[in-house]
Amino acid sequence: MQDTQVKDAIDQVRSATQQLHKAISDAAAKRGGAAKADLQAVPQMAKAAVDSIKGSMATQNETAKKRLSEARTYLEAAGKHAADGVKSSGKEFQTAVRQTIADARAAAQKVSEAVAAKRTAAGATSAK
Amino acid sequence: MRNYIAVVFDDTNKAYEGLHAIWQLDTDGAITVHGTTVVHRNDWGEYQVDSKDTHPALATAVGVGVGALIGALAGPAGAAVGAARGAAIGAASGGAVGAVADLNRADTRDESRYETAWVLGAGQSAVIGDVSEDSTFSIDERMRRLGGTVYRRAWSAVRDDKWFDDRSLYPYDGYLSPYDYYLYPYEYVPPYSPWWAY
Repeated sequence: MQDTQVKDAIDQVRSATQQLHKAISDAAAKRGGAAKADLQAVPQMAKAAVDSIKGSMATQNETAKKRLSEARTYLEAAGKHAADGVKSSGKEFQTAVRQTIADARAAAQKVSEAVAAKRTAAGATSAK
Repeated sequence: MRNYIAVVFDDTNKAYEGLHAIWQLDTDGAITVHGTTVVHRNDWGEYQVDSKDTHPALATAVGVGVGALIGALAGPAGAAVGAARGAAIGAASGGAVGAVADLNRADTRDESRYETAWVLGAGQSAVIGDVSEDSTFSIDERMRRLGGTVYRRAWSAVRDDKWFDDRSLYPYDGYLSPYDYYLYPYEYVPPYSPWWAY
């Protein structure tokens, strides 16, 4: 039962970070005001993902915890850069979008690494 | 073990079946996918990475070096045995570690481009992936059924390549390599297909 709960929690975090990256990529594909309007939702999405990480950390192994902690840092950076982007224009806006995408991508990467660490540990346990 | 893979298909639709199958393996928990993309090579030898229409600030980075990536995955060993359809390069030893071709660094862009020319022929498509797998069996077997040819190289070996040192190709300093940049962390199928895929 506990394993199911752990799986659900980390999968939820992964889904949240993937959705965040997708949302930012979609926003970046738009132009001008439309991109900025979409970017406004990003800080809140990033915060929700961070909250999910906080809720799932305790039940993870050490490697997964470390990866999730790194993901949290990237998510917080993504939220900050998105907020900066909303307040800026021109080249500064473009830079903020690039940074936000890169942060979101890195966060998604770290969470999937946490999932891999968890799966590998689970496989090693069941093999014994 | 974490690996980069390239699965080459003759047909674009098959490549997307392969993409879906890889993400399905992730859903099943057999592997963990960190990122994927689909690359095409047209009849004139040009490469195209399937991607969103991106913001102008990002457009130039998308697709940069994709030919070099495929070449880096195949490497010189791939050149020798790559013709065997459905075979995983270096997989004969069977073990997860031994299954990865332990290649010398191919590493220069020119060499990688040269290698790419035979790995991905004109009119072919490839799924590129960054995956964690405890065994190579799941991907190899599923791709074999779809008619794909699997090339595989250790993530750490590719990351050590000199190619990654080219900071000018990074979307912004210190964060992502060009490879990471166009590998989507979720299953991405573009809403359109390139005209030459028909």
